[in-house]
Amino acid sequence: MPLKQGSNIMKLPGYSIYFLGRIFIGLVFAYSGYTKLMEPVENFRGVMASYEIIPYAVIPILAPVIPWIEFVFGAFMILGFQSRASAFVLASMSFSFVVLILITRIVTGALPADCGCFGEGSIIHLTPMQVLFLDIFNTVMGIRLALYRNHLFSVDFILNKKD
Amino acid sequence: MKINFRSIIVGVIFLAILVGGIFFLKMKKAQKPVEVSRGIPLPAGAMIYRAPEKARGPSNAPVKLLEYSDFECPACRGVQDVVNELFKKYPGKIQLTFKHYPLQNHRWSMYAHQAAECMSVQGKFWAYHDKLYTKQQEWAVSLTPPVETFIKYAQEIGADMDRLGACLSDVAVTREIYAEKEQGTAVQVSATPTFFLGKERFVGPKEMKERAENAVRAVLGLPPISVPVNQKPAESQAANAAKTGI
Repeated sequence: MPLKQGSNIMKLPGYSIYFLGRIFIGLVFAYSGYTKLMEPVENFRGVMASYEIIPYAVIPILAPVIPWIEFVFGAFMILGFQSRASAFVLASMSFSFVVLILITRIVTGALPADCGCFGEGSIIHLTPMQVLFLDIFNTVMGIRLALYRNHLFSVDFILNKKD
Repeated sequence: MKINFRSIIVGVIFLAILVGGIFFLKMKKAQKPVEVSRGIPLPAGAMIYRAPEKARGPSNAPVKLLEYSDFECPACRGVQDVVNELFKKYPGKIQLTFKHYPLQNHRWSMYAHQAAECMSVQGKFWAYHDKLYTKQQEWAVSLTPPVETFIKYAQEIGADMDRLGACLSDVAVTREIYAEKEQGTAVQVSATPTFFLGKERFVGPKEMKERAENAVRAVLGLPPISVPVNQKPAESQAANAAKTGI
């Protein structure tokens, strides 16, 4: 339900959960993209190549693009700019990571020791299984955020206000 | 979803700030001077040790490969076949320089690197290097520091055991190993194995397998060849062993 002019957003059910969820997903993706962007792209290529089911031909195309998508849409989520579209993009990415981890495990019988999600130079290192749970959470939360119309403390809220 | 003119302008401004910020930070990071601190302090009166270059292949070889590797890392073991294949296919054309990059999460790695560096002093680095990789699955699973196993390997390749004994506990040698690791970190090596061929970088066995040969051929002025995508069963097995099962 869209927020009517003059109504109080803080009276909407679960607003704080959505707000925290938005900030959490935004931070996860923005940091993940940032750490990869600060490193040579070959490091991320190496990580992608360790997931053997990814066709090698697409790695040189995807490796430079994915960190930018993560960083830009993660930052948009934190700012609350195009929140619903950003949530949809990040939920789709999270879902594709879930599928990637599961298929890699089924097809090759093993997973890389480090998921490589945060760039090798990052302070956070998660195993693919830990990141699987994080991505399932992000997918569910991202879908909820994409369906939610009124994002608290967001640029969208300011932009959509009538002058 | 409502996109209006105001949204587009705000979006463009945000994008410019975000993209500009990343490029600015990357530029700032690239300009930062590289400092090698050698990690741990040297005890008073200790001799300064400078690690000899651990190079394989002729020094006048046109292809200079640099490898940052960890002896306990399964992927580093897996990549040895690719490297050996390159040496076999392009004899006399490649020189490979080894740099220590012991990973923190590999508990016996530092012991292995110390032993290998000690063997380097005795001119037996490459024989020991091969031994450590071929026997990796034997010593890496040890529950206690496999120092005796490392000594046994050294004995098998004819090391001077007195010199080795003194060297194994030499902090100056440990410092040099960390110094090599720091050199790698300074050029943003953070995973093993990482290879450099000039400015090109290859991270992991698959990257080496897919890209290295054509990079070598480019240096030699040879036309590129197509690299087979499908792995042989033995190679697949090695690649799978390079991973941690769950």
